[in-house]
Amino acid sequence: MAESGAQPLRLRVQFTKEGNARYLSHSEYSRTLMIAARRAGLPVEYAGMKMSRMKVSLSPPLPIGITSESEFVDYNLVAYMPAAEAQQRLEQALTEGIRPVQCRLLGADARPVGKLIDTATFRVDLPAEAGSEGDWSGAVERFLEKNSVPYERVQPRRTRVVDLRQGVHTLIIEDRAAEGDGVRLGMTLDDGIAGTIKPWEVVEVLAGLAEVDRDVWERARVHRTGLFARRGEKLVSPMELGRTKSAAGRGARGGKY
Amino acid sequence: MNCDLNDISSGGLAERLAPLLLRVERPSRYTGGEWNAPLITEGGTTVVLAYPDVYEIGTSNLGLSILREVVNGMDGASAERTYSPWVDMESEMREAGMPLFSLETHRPVGDFDIFGITIPHELTYTNILNLIDLAGLPLLASDRDSGPLVVGGGCGTANPEPIAEYFDLLFLGDGEEAIVSLVETVARGKAEGWSRARTLDEASMLPGAYRPGDYQVSYEADGRLSGVARRDGAAGRPTKNLVDLDRWLYPRRPIVPFCEAVHDRLNVELFRGCTRGCRFCQAGMTYRPVRERTAGEVVKLVEELADATGHDEVSLCSLSSTDYSRIADVASQVAEICRHRQMIMSLPSLRMDSMSAELAARLDRGGRGGLTFAPEAATERLRNVINKPISESEMAEAIVCSVREGRRRIKLYFMIGLPTETDQDVEEIAGLVYRLRDAVRAEKLTPPSFNVSVSTFIPKAHTPFQWCAQADIETIRRKQQILKSSLRARSVNLSWHDSEMSTVEGMLARGDRRLGRLVEQVWSSGARFDSWTEHFDFDRWMDAARGLGIDPGFYLERERASDEVFPWDHLDFGLDKGFLRDEFERALEAGLTADCRQAECAGCGVCERLGTEPVLKGVAADG
Repeated sequence: MAESGAQPLRLRVQFTKEGNARYLSHSEYSRTLMIAARRAGLPVEYAGMKMSRMKVSLSPPLPIGITSESEFVDYNLVAYMPAAEAQQRLEQALTEGIRPVQCRLLGADARPVGKLIDTATFRVDLPAEAGSEGDWSGAVERFLEKNSVPYERVQPRRTRVVDLRQGVHTLIIEDRAAEGDGVRLGMTLDDGIAGTIKPWEVVEVLAGLAEVDRDVWERARVHRTGLFARRGEKLVSPMELGRTKSAAGRGARGGKY
Repeated sequence: MNCDLNDISSGGLAERLAPLLLRVERPSRYTGGEWNAPLITEGGTTVVLAYPDVYEIGTSNLGLSILREVVNGMDGASAERTYSPWVDMESEMREAGMPLFSLETHRPVGDFDIFGITIPHELTYTNILNLIDLAGLPLLASDRDSGPLVVGGGCGTANPEPIAEYFDLLFLGDGEEAIVSLVETVARGKAEGWSRARTLDEASMLPGAYRPGDYQVSYEADGRLSGVARRDGAAGRPTKNLVDLDRWLYPRRPIVPFCEAVHDRLNVELFRGCTRGCRFCQAGMTYRPVRERTAGEVVKLVEELADATGHDEVSLCSLSSTDYSRIADVASQVAEICRHRQMIMSLPSLRMDSMSAELAARLDRGGRGGLTFAPEAATERLRNVINKPISESEMAEAIVCSVREGRRRIKLYFMIGLPTETDQDVEEIAGLVYRLRDAVRAEKLTPPSFNVSVSTFIPKAHTPFQWCAQADIETIRRKQQILKSSLRARSVNLSWHDSEMSTVEGMLARGDRRLGRLVEQVWSSGARFDSWTEHFDFDRWMDAARGLGIDPGFYLERERASDEVFPWDHLDFGLDKGFLRDEFERALEAGLTADCRQAECAGCGVCERLGTEPVLKGVAADG
């Protein structure tokens, strides 16, 4: 597969994670994308013989159960392959729920996508029983009025309090139009190199403010609509970034949460 | 709720399953939809094939993959999969009142025509009962008058007696032909409107079929079996099926799981059966004779399956891969394919006496650096007892070759509790490991790290050691202590099997139908996943045995008389009981029996009884 003397390149692909694929853990999803590259015959670079040594960079993990139209992977390539051909091959090599949306070739010195992304946008569709738009817009207003929203994050090894408010950049009630009866929330959250706020954490706090029971709001459907690198006030897609390391902007920082 | 899980029929459970998936560990175990998962779009005769353990283990099972593709290749029939739900999922399912479902269409298992369960080993018995119960079916075959036929198969049929009464039907030997005839019989029954009992009667007449309900077991006053009587009108003695591997389909679309399975690789079967004659090995006895796949077919399969899967490792599997008649040729061609495809090749079940420098060089080139060998016993005398006569110089050569090719880790399998074993034999395990290490040093090579894995010998049905007493738990613990104190080196890592687990496994391995009550009681008290150390509860087994008045010692510690009737004697795997007894007696004198591939016929009886002979297709890979 390797072709000596080939120009090193990086192939950035935007994938979906929908349908059954939403039940894949991050490690299962990354394994799936690596197998897809092998099945597609992409000239991928390895650091050893095993697939686990494939040189890839992935966008921040998506919690199990959340769908997405915007997951990113960088594959290091050892030979040139046109982006359109790579996309077509991946399309044929993938399984249901995961689809390559767009592909782009970058120089090998481009900053890997895993070190670019710091912001995510989510759409949350609440079930109709979760209350009216009025209940939730009140909760949203109260959330945004606060300077700090302490949240106790329970993790397998430690429990700590994080400030959700710092990581919530926008929080709005969206128009759901004809797609259902329940309320639709839109949110822009810290996600990636600067630390991560999970959409369920925000929903849980809002539900508390709107006095909605857990067994109701837990049935909400959450969808990641985009992943971005923040450049000042602007959110830039990784597909528009990554020409060289210098274009990467803010770089890696310690997580806030 | 919008539901993406495949749910073709109105009876599908996908909608009810979706919320459960968000509350369990690894939901992808239950979704299906992996690469190469069969797309089931129509009904016909429906089969669901189950592995009684968690998805990551079951999905690697080659036998079920073969059967699934065989059925899915038939007109008007389909085969789906199911596995034991992990404990978290089981509790969610029971709470939600959700029955066991198939992964492809998420239909209840109880709605299928055939519910096939493979029996891999004794410690899955409680999981097997759990599968039947979760499917919503009565546990005992005699209590079932509707629902799918519960059919068993796999290597556990060598002695299925402790759980025999829970199966409507069991099939002995290779399953390919059997499942086709079974599906055809059920299809005919459906077309002609047969009752379930009539279908079962017809299916019990098929070659290889064993209907436990047709047999009545009687016992002596001292607990031993006095006989197994066949019901009038029942089919003749159940005899195992054999197929010619090249004439039967090999899975062309193996499922590639999303998660890392236990065997996360492409498996190509080189051959079935082994006539080396290791006296402890049940598979070596019950899968006879050797039936090889042609070399050209093996190479073609590797190419084809590499494309179909995307796996990065290919394993040329069998009971003893280096014994394949053209192993050097095939390994060389497969190594070449691997080189072009960024894959590695592995050979499980390596024999140290057939490990050549050339083969060592081809294996897993540049790969993960580990190789596994099984000397089984540390002294030449004891290796003769088990009929695995590998000399120490052959072992040293195999290790040196492997280390020279860059291996940094060597795993060595041993057994303790073997017949005639003394404490010195156990102490010698340390001596042998040190001598192998010194042999590497003598070649001016850095010694590898040794992982020494020591299991407890369990006498199994249809082997020459079926008459033996199993070493008691105290003896095994004492011998494990001997090992612990004698094997103390930084480069040696020692591990052993849980002696309590071996006790339960040993009891069931040569158990009779009376143990069914024990399995059922242990299952109903909550036992699941008994082969998982975190779930195995020895006290639960012993308490239940006490409660039922079952003496484990009767099954474990008793050397059987030469004329004892075994609970599995009525199941014909082609082996002559006289041959097994002669082998046992020869073992006690450390006498050897040669492999019939290299020497004259040892008289095991298989070829004569089954009208077959070893199939050694040693033709060139390119021809």
